[in-house]
Order: sequence, then structure tokens, then C-alpha cells
Amino acid sequence: MSQDKPDIKEILVTVKALLEGIANKSKGSERYDALCGAFLLSVVDRELDFGARQDESQSGELQQLLGREGSLSDFYQQFCQQVRGGELDEQWPAAFDFAFKQVVDKVSVTNPKYLAEMHQPE
Amino acid sequence: MAGATEQQALLDDIVAKLELALQRRYGQAARVENVSIATLGASNRTLLFDLVEATGRRRLVLRQETLKSEVSPFISPHDQFEILKVVFRHGVLVPEPIFELEPEDGLDVGYVMACVEGETLPKTLLNAPEFAVARKRFAAQTGEIFAKLHAIDPSEVDFLEKVVDSVDPLAAQISRYDAYCEYHPGLDVGIRWLENNRPKDKPRVFVHGDYRNGNVILGPDKIEAVLDWECAHIGNAMEDFGWVCLRSWRFGNIDQPVGGFGPRSELYQAYTSNGGQAIDEEEVRWWEIFGLLRWAVLNMMQADGHITGVRRSLPFACCGRNTSMIEYDMLMTIKGHFS
Repeated sequence: MSQDKPDIKEILVTVKALLEGIANKSKGSERYDALCGAFLLSVVDRELDFGARQDESQSGELQQLLGREGSLSDFYQQFCQQVRGGELDEQWPAAFDFAFKQVVDKVSVTNPKYLAEMHQPE
Repeated sequence: MAGATEQQALLDDIVAKLELALQRRYGQAARVENVSIATLGASNRTLLFDLVEATGRRRLVLRQETLKSEVSPFISPHDQFEILKVVFRHGVLVPEPIFELEPEDGLDVGYVMACVEGETLPKTLLNAPEFAVARKRFAAQTGEIFAKLHAIDPSEVDFLEKVVDSVDPLAAQISRYDAYCEYHPGLDVGIRWLENNRPKDKPRVFVHGDYRNGNVILGPDKIEAVLDWECAHIGNAMEDFGWVCLRSWRFGNIDQPVGGFGPRSELYQAYTSNGGQAIDEEEVRWWEIFGLLRWAVLNMMQADGHITGVRRSLPFACCGRNTSMIEYDMLMTIKGHFS
């Protein structure tokens, strides 16, 4: 990562402010596109904050659940195929809990305000 | 994303061809006036215009198919037009079907129907004072519409038997999900739950498939027309109930399950008192969980349009990340936290 200024966070804040300014001054599809752009930058911002930690934690859980080594994307594929095929039916509570936690992780990045109070990030 | 000039050129081309199409049917004096773009939807382009003839002026709507995909979840415009004819004949509230586009029109595929005055924007419908009466009646009126629709003999729309959703709606969603080569643990857990809790077979009826807040035109006092028949198929009547009650279609009014407008009891009561079959609430719940899977997959479809460059769009890019919130609703519903 570059040590030069502005850092990634500062760049995001700057461009997001620009898009929000455009949204405030425009109408119709231009306003909507600008709001979508600002929203997507806030997703990037939160993914930078939480993504690596979430990946690490999910990898650990899936390694235990699936009993093998691999990358997170391999794990997702394995998990989905095994759940779909009924191979994790006997470990259903653990499989469901993992999927639920993974979804809460994703919403924490996409739109944390959407989560029920019990799942709000601390 | 098309620039403003590009979009204007496209619009001019459509209008010129539309005028010729109208002249072929209504004579050389026919003119197109007052054109406006209503929506650039997921599967279609909708244009409003006046057909001007010597005898008078009529507001009409042109719908053209814009989605070209091998995994399109939408029935053909031809079949949509046939459906409009059937339901219009049965007195279901729909815009009158006027004519279907033909190859010599040069307007791709689609059809023209009557324009029904009213509003479709969900948040306006839920909040604007002028729709207070229509809001109060929405749940019961939906029950009446469902009863009328589900009473239509499915043999009148037997061309829908070939639609994959008529054969096995869950398998149809799974196949669409798989087409995007993405892995969503939440969706697969939901799919497994749906497989393990499938409802018992029931008499099959003609279902709308996409009846929700946003696909219905409301006037100040009532529902004026039901739109968007591109997901119609033959299936379980409870599917329409599950879809209209989906959390995503309540637009924040989560304590009013029927589209954010009203309670389930009014919907169910109106349905059964108008000849509809008994409601199985557990089954409706199954169809809501199914509906969330379907809505997540539709969002993946939008994101795919952006990623592949077929339909670059910032809102479609957002759809891809929005699936997480739909998965959340799905798993919270399975857990019993949401209803």
C-alpha cells in the first residue's frame, strides 16, 4: 500500500463528498446514479475496515466445519455444494449458524443500518 | 450507460418507427405526440404516448423487451400480450391490450396497451395523503383480484405450462442462481430449508407471479390496474400471497405485510369470501422464504448485467451487494424473527 498522501480512506471521503454534492444539485437518473456511486464508495470504505477480519474468521470456521484446508472462495463453493446436497444435514445448526454469521458480516459491510438491533456492529 | 444524446437518438428512432406502426394499423393520418419514457425496467422499456387520429386522441403505452439473456426469468412479450387478452376478458383490472408489435414494425418485440392513469411509485403510494383511501383498501382489493385471477381456468393460458416456473418453481430459481456461478452460503442454506419443507401438492392455478407494491397502478380511491405479467405461470395460489407480503415490498412499513399497506387478515378474508381457497399461513410463509430467494437471484441478474457490460448501470451494480440484505431477511424469517 502506498504511504503517500492522501491515503485510501481520504480519497474515498473526497470522492464520496463530490458524488453527494452532485446528487444534491441534480434530479432524476443523474441524482440516483450519484447516490448509488456514493453508496458503493461507503461499501468500499467498510470493506476496507472489516473485510480482512471477516475473511479470517470465516475461513477458520469453515476449515473446522468442512474439515479441510483451502482458500475462502474454495470453502464457500464446498460449503454451498455440501449444504445443497444434504451432506451437512447432520450438522445443520452449525451450518445454519455459519451462513447466518456470514450474511450478517456482508450486511455489516453493505448497509449496517439494515441489521436488527441484536446484530448491529459494536 | 447511454449518454443524453445517445438516448435522445434512440428515442427519436423508436418514435419514428412507432408512428409508422400506428399508420399501418390506423391509417396515414395517425400521429404520435406527447411521448415520455415511463421506465427503463429490468426486462422492458415503457413509453407513454398519444395516438392522434382525426377522430380523437388516446393515451397509450408501448412496452418493448430490453433484456436478452439465456437465463431470462421472464416470459415472452407475445405470451404477455396473450395473457393480457385473457385477463382483460375476465374483468381483471389490467390495461386494455391494443396490438402486438410485428417484425415489419422494426421495433423488436413488445406490444401496445391502453394507458391507465395513476401512480406506481411505492413510497409515494405509501406516504402521499391523496392515496389514503386506496391504501386502506389495498389489502382487501388485492384479495378480490387474486380470487378472480386464480379462478381463471388454467387451460385458457396453457401455453404457460412450458414455463420452467410452472414445472418446479424452486428448481427454476436454483438453476438461475447457478447460472451466475456465485456462491452464497445464506442462499444455499435457504434452498436446503425450502427443499426440506416443500408444501404439499395443490390444485394448480394461474398465478401472476410478480404482484407487489410497484407493479400496481393506484388511483386515489383504489387499485386501477395490475401490471407486469412477465412472471405469470401455473402454480400454487399461495405463491402470489407470499410475494405480495415479501418484506422487500413493504418499503419500510414492515408492520403492514401486504405491500406495506395493510394486514394479512384483510387480504385473506377478501380472498376466501370471493371464492378463493382456504389460506394455509405456513405455506404462505414458505412462499415468502422462496420469494426472498427469488428476489436475491433477480438482484444477481441485475448485477450480472452490469458486470458483463450488457447493461452497465450504477443501480444494477448496487443490486449485487444488496443481495446480502435479502439473504438476511430470508434467514431471519426462517429463524422466526421476521414475519
